[in-house]
Amino acid sequence: MTSARRLHQLPGLLPFLVPALLTGGGVALPLLYLALRALEADPETLRDILLRPKNLELVKNTLSLLLGVLLLTTLIALPLAFLTTRTDLKGKSLFSILLTLPLAIPGYVGAYVILSATGPGGILPLPRLEGYWGALLVLSLITYPYLFLGLRAAFLGLDPSLEEAARTLGAGPLRAFLQVVFPQLLPALLSGYLVVGLHVLGDFGTVSLLRYETFSYAIYLQYSAAFDRVYAAWLALFLLLFTGGLLLLEGLLLRRLSLARTGKGSGKKARPLSLGRFAPWAYLSLLLPVLLALVLPLYALFHLASRFPRENLEGLWEALFHSAMAAVPASLLAVGMALPIAYLVVRYPSPASRFLERLAYLGYTVPPLAFALAWIFFSLKSLPFLYGTLPLLILVLAFHFLAEGLGPVRGALYQVPRRLEEAARTLGDTPTRAFFRVTFPLLWRGAVAGGALAFIGAVKELPLTLLLAPMGYSTLSTRVFSYTQEAMFAEAAPFALAIALLSAAFVGVLLWSERRF
Amino acid sequence: MQLRRFLTLIGLGALGLAFAQQQTLTLYSGRGQSLVEPLVRQFQAETGIRVQVRYGTDAQILAALQEEGSRSPADVFWANTAGALGQAASKGLLRPLGDTLLRQPLAFAPTSKAWVPVTLRLRVLAYNPQKLRPEELPASILDLPRFAQEKGLAGRVGWTPTYSSFQDMVAGMIALYGEVRTREWLSAMKALNPKGYASNPAMLDAIRAGEIDLGSTNHYYVVRFRRAGYNLGLHYFKDGDPGNLALVTGAGILKTSKNLVAANRFLTYLLSPKGQQYFAGTVGEYPLVKGVVADAHLLPLEEALAKSPKLDFEKLPLDQALRLLRELGIL
Repeated sequence: MTSARRLHQLPGLLPFLVPALLTGGGVALPLLYLALRALEADPETLRDILLRPKNLELVKNTLSLLLGVLLLTTLIALPLAFLTTRTDLKGKSLFSILLTLPLAIPGYVGAYVILSATGPGGILPLPRLEGYWGALLVLSLITYPYLFLGLRAAFLGLDPSLEEAARTLGAGPLRAFLQVVFPQLLPALLSGYLVVGLHVLGDFGTVSLLRYETFSYAIYLQYSAAFDRVYAAWLALFLLLFTGGLLLLEGLLLRRLSLARTGKGSGKKARPLSLGRFAPWAYLSLLLPVLLALVLPLYALFHLASRFPRENLEGLWEALFHSAMAAVPASLLAVGMALPIAYLVVRYPSPASRFLERLAYLGYTVPPLAFALAWIFFSLKSLPFLYGTLPLLILVLAFHFLAEGLGPVRGALYQVPRRLEEAARTLGDTPTRAFFRVTFPLLWRGAVAGGALAFIGAVKELPLTLLLAPMGYSTLSTRVFSYTQEAMFAEAAPFALAIALLSAAFVGVLLWSERRF
Repeated sequence: MQLRRFLTLIGLGALGLAFAQQQTLTLYSGRGQSLVEPLVRQFQAETGIRVQVRYGTDAQILAALQEEGSRSPADVFWANTAGALGQAASKGLLRPLGDTLLRQPLAFAPTSKAWVPVTLRLRVLAYNPQKLRPEELPASILDLPRFAQEKGLAGRVGWTPTYSSFQDMVAGMIALYGEVRTREWLSAMKALNPKGYASNPAMLDAIRAGEIDLGSTNHYYVVRFRRAGYNLGLHYFKDGDPGNLALVTGAGILKTSKNLVAANRFLTYLLSPKGQQYFAGTVGEYPLVKGVVADAHLLPLEEALAKSPKLDFEKLPLDQALRLLRELGIL
């Protein structure tokens, strides 16, 4: 509810409200169009679409991949988080950084490495993995860091006295862990599961290259090969339902859990567990994911890049240029949209501003293929001059990566003392003027970090670019994808390598802006 | 401060460039980028005409052309299949072409006169010669499911249901044997639990990597893998079998085209000795114009034509084939 005082402030806030509302519309409107387009089907077609046996198969595939990845990431992340926080191993913080790096590898590059480097005649001594197992391995290796980071923070924040109390009451170490420690890790596990789950549902590159038909891949196939747009729209709606279900489930579980959580306690440090003769095994288990997710792929990439046909260099420069031409404006736009939203959330907290922020995150959680499809329908119907143009791609990328920019900007804004702005206001500035004179110069760092994250995200992005790029507009990511699909591995190598290097930059920016370790 | 101003300028410049795109010859290609790009580059170098290419599947491009309607920027539609060109012609999307162009190819000139055939390819069976002997392979593609069952190859057969030539082959089957038999064949194939690939090279690479042992593909893909030094088997079924269906690729000019001169030059270039030599040499397809040096991997053109059933390629029942594939959940 806006009080009279709030209403009085509105004119000064307009420069913030308008972009904020536009942003909300850019996410919500296309999704409405998607639903409209899906409901356009005549009843008979609709019955056919909804009762297709294929739908069941897709649900089964998507769910089994989701559960498989959640299980495997837990098996990887939980022991690693324990080892890097609660034991006496050397170099824990270095390992923590190394173990976070795979986060930056896009799924399609992982799939490319598996396809190009394994099997008979491959340079890695591994059997060819594809289909379910290949997708499971790649997705788990690139998403476990989300879980790892959350669990690490949870382990560090645990109150050791609870555990010690359990031990003095005669519980063995294992029982103490299961009954006392594990319940306290659940919130971190659940939020990690949500992020990993959204990734798996949204993933298109990995499953399509490794030929495992989940909803995302099916949407692409129906849209591009079978050319069934109404069915594609329905599949996108199904996928949105899945995503929504995941968000709801996580919210419900977390709410129930947070009631049962204890405070932080005394802030006492837990005594590190001495591993003794198990230390070598512990080091090995820390190295294994790094080896599988970083060292082997990089080795394969460099090796394959050395076979790259020279005459294609022109294409590499072109793709680099195209990627930059889409990602630079998109990231500037994303930060430009993040600023007013962050400002409203931090300075004028209310249900309305929080709802706006939710909308901004929604653009990020909507599976990109569903989002791209929604924008295609929307632009064809109401903005035909935009359809198939670069500005549309830039716009949609900005809407999608807005959330990446929002975090750092909001964080920086919280650190700007409100009193500075108020001082400017008492000197007669409007809120907008006060913001630009006083606050913005102090936000610079957060805005750069947010922009950098959005930029790198936009360069690596595949599904939106694939569906929305203008004709003949191939970027680094679409080149990797199309060459891999044609089994032209040597040709794809430098493009994949360029993406991998950018990903390394991504981690650098992340560490610089968050100072995690 | 300086840095900030600089970054803002770069951003504005990028936005400005994005909005200013110049007009050139626009090609919608159902043929793959890896195959089209070198030729387009040659054409640009020789004529100075800039070509913009939009890649997609034939079905995708047909639908895009219809969605875009009179707003379409396309000048030339270069398709993977005669069926797609036939559809484009019957929907009135293509301009009739002059006789100078239509007289050049040796065969397959369409009755609609709205497009010109450019190259020819045959469907073949690719297999792993270390696993299978040529003499045991079936004489008809209709017997492929039974053969695979007997050899215990369930789960080791590949196919490319999203690829236009495969869909044309299914349409050819319907034209020859009717929908009932085609449905039986597809169901029997499905029962083998085949692996579906997004492209032919990916499927052949899977044969190379030992994922699968055989799959129906287009002849030039096998040729290309053999040239790269991989040992792949190539099997023709008996003469007239739909498993050897000959398929023409071709190109037409769109009614919406505003660059007729450039579009005509591009089509002429595709049929020129240089263009045709590129298809026969680099790509490994059959040229359709006289005076091109055939490749050692290819059969003489007459022999290749004798292998295929005689059908009207412009009128293959593609819609029926797609409906059938969807109905069976293959697409």
